[in-house]
Amino acid sequence: MDNDSLEVRGLTRTFGDLTAVDDVSFAAPAGLLTGFVGGNGAGKTTTMRMIMGVLAPTAGEVRFGGDPVTRAGRRAFGYMPEERGLYPKQPVLDQLVYLARLRGIAAPRARAEVLDMLDRLGLAGRSKEHVEKLSLGNQQRVQIVAALMGTPRLLVLDEPFSGLDPAAVDGMVDLLAEHTARGVPVLFSSHQLDLVERLCERLVILKSGRVMADGAPADLQRTGALRHRLVVDGDAGWVRGVPGVHAVDVDGPVALLEVADDASLQRLLATGLERGGVRELTPVRPTLAQIYREVTA
Amino acid sequence: MTTTTPTRQDAPGTLDRTGEESTRGAWLVVMKREIVVRALNKTFLVGLLVSVAIIAALAGFMAWQGSKTESFTVAVPAGDAAATAAVESAAAIPEEQGGGAELTTLEVPDDAAARAALADGDADGWLHVADGGADEGDAGWVLTGEADPDSTLTRLLTAGVAAETLDANAQAAGTTAAELTAGGTLTTDRVDGDAVDSQTLFFASFALALLFFIGALGSGQMIAGSVVEEKQSRLVEIMATAVPLRHLLTGKILGSSVVALAQNVVFAAVGLAALSFTPTASILPSLSTSLVWFVLFFAVGFLGLAALYAVAGALASRTEDLQHTTTPMTMAIMGVYFLTFSASGTFETVLSYVPVANVVSMPVRVLSGDAAWWEPIVSLLILAAFAVVALLVSERAYRGALLQTGGRIGWRSALTARA
Repeated sequence: MDNDSLEVRGLTRTFGDLTAVDDVSFAAPAGLLTGFVGGNGAGKTTTMRMIMGVLAPTAGEVRFGGDPVTRAGRRAFGYMPEERGLYPKQPVLDQLVYLARLRGIAAPRARAEVLDMLDRLGLAGRSKEHVEKLSLGNQQRVQIVAALMGTPRLLVLDEPFSGLDPAAVDGMVDLLAEHTARGVPVLFSSHQLDLVERLCERLVILKSGRVMADGAPADLQRTGALRHRLVVDGDAGWVRGVPGVHAVDVDGPVALLEVADDASLQRLLATGLERGGVRELTPVRPTLAQIYREVTA
Repeated sequence: MTTTTPTRQDAPGTLDRTGEESTRGAWLVVMKREIVVRALNKTFLVGLLVSVAIIAALAGFMAWQGSKTESFTVAVPAGDAAATAAVESAAAIPEEQGGGAELTTLEVPDDAAARAALADGDADGWLHVADGGADEGDAGWVLTGEADPDSTLTRLLTAGVAAETLDANAQAAGTTAAELTAGGTLTTDRVDGDAVDSQTLFFASFALALLFFIGALGSGQMIAGSVVEEKQSRLVEIMATAVPLRHLLTGKILGSSVVALAQNVVFAAVGLAALSFTPTASILPSLSTSLVWFVLFFAVGFLGLAALYAVAGALASRTEDLQHTTTPMTMAIMGVYFLTFSASGTFETVLSYVPVANVVSMPVRVLSGDAAWWEPIVSLLILAAFAVVALLVSERAYRGALLQTGGRIGWRSALTARA
């Protein structure tokens, strides 16, 4: 099993005065789903286009398996651009086979593979239909097949889940899981943070063309300030007076606190017990959305 | 700097790791697809069939016209030998001199019967001596019709009557008509020794200009349209990661050229075949030579035009932009169309060396016999040079413009853009 990872080093792209991507470096390890998040205009699409060679970088390099990526190497990458589109007035099967043949796959094998994938995505009977006749969700599925043909060694997918209903999302997740199980690195961008949180083993957060955070979600959550939720009998206003404890929010018996260290935590607990009883004291893991907001603030 | 690792044998549909060898044939895949998509396009096929039908019908009509023999029935007074002789004389006029008609006489007993025959349509005309001075014959003859007598009949009978009168008067004078008119025939000859008459030449040059116009404009617009469609749908981004853009361009140009050429060959073949059934079939050999040159010129010239049209497609970012970006080519093609089929003399000679215009002008000059044997060759080389320059420039511009999606681009920024 090949274990090639994608590595991006110092990637930069300027358009005149605008720096869309500024010294971006990260890795999408083999066999893992790497989520690529950021607001509109953060530079995700530009970065992906540079990885795929559609756009030339102003500076920096892209490596795969330790070696710089070449045109020949890119033929083995699967790419799904942000804007969907295939030939609207042509049959699905013909187009996908054509794209496969451009990648160097022989016609009979291409045909068999395309039909197989269409079948798996529930589009078996529609291979002869024109793309424009399919519903948007189905057009999306066809687009996915285009990206997945030919046993790609890397997947770069721009917003692959947008426009998919929950069932289709699950289907897509399964498909991606098959690839990561084979050791293929998958880099995908999404605005749906809950999805990214659920699926991704690695995360890259981009803002204004720069990497704000890069790592496993659990690690990122840990670097965020750890908060605790305190529920007491009676009013919790006294928490403001406890040293080493910062009250983020106090509402009647419930308080959301940032605790500086373990000693402060014990102090808090002790004070709470003195004052009449503690119902609940739990650590609160920040959601990805929170991390994201903090990091991009 | 590619890492070459052994090809995986286990998984189906595995790509060759190096991928280098496979890109070599990519332009062929693109070309085949362009041909199939274009040729199987319903609009294209219908247009082709309709055009072929029109050409065949036109030629068929011309053939039928040519072979049709005119026939008339002429009423003559019974027992009037001179009238009958005049009609026979008119019927004997050969086709080359405007005759070849069939004339039948219908003997009528008197004037009233003659008028009745005209009214009933049994006779097309009534030939009789003019009233007054009938015996002398000095007053001449009259051809009466129901309305105005047919002009061809009038013409034929005028000649017939003249011949008959000459004959009669000559005999009365003691000689024969032949002796009197000896040495009086007139034939035509040409100084420039051409085989093709100017009317056919005009028709042929119009036809060639039209073929060029339809082929170049139609196929050119098609290329631009398909390029911008791929650009708009971001298909080009997916394809760009699979094959070098150069291959895409090559495949597109070759594919459309093959179809445009095939279209013209079909038209030419049908036209020639149809012409062979018409009276003008005698010009077929020289016309065929001219057509072969035309096809050759069109093939080379269209390569250059196709490249330019592909760039026009790449400069646009949506289909609506095409109107603007294809304007230079459209103007050039229309210019060629209007200038070439009416050009003559020095202007025509100059045009037959100017690239693109020479696609029409040089074959026309070959047809008219104006061009020396080496002229089409030189002109074709000039055209080939144009095509090569167009291809090189277009390749650069195509690559520069294709992946830029922020609205319409100009030639200059396309040429200077980083690939």
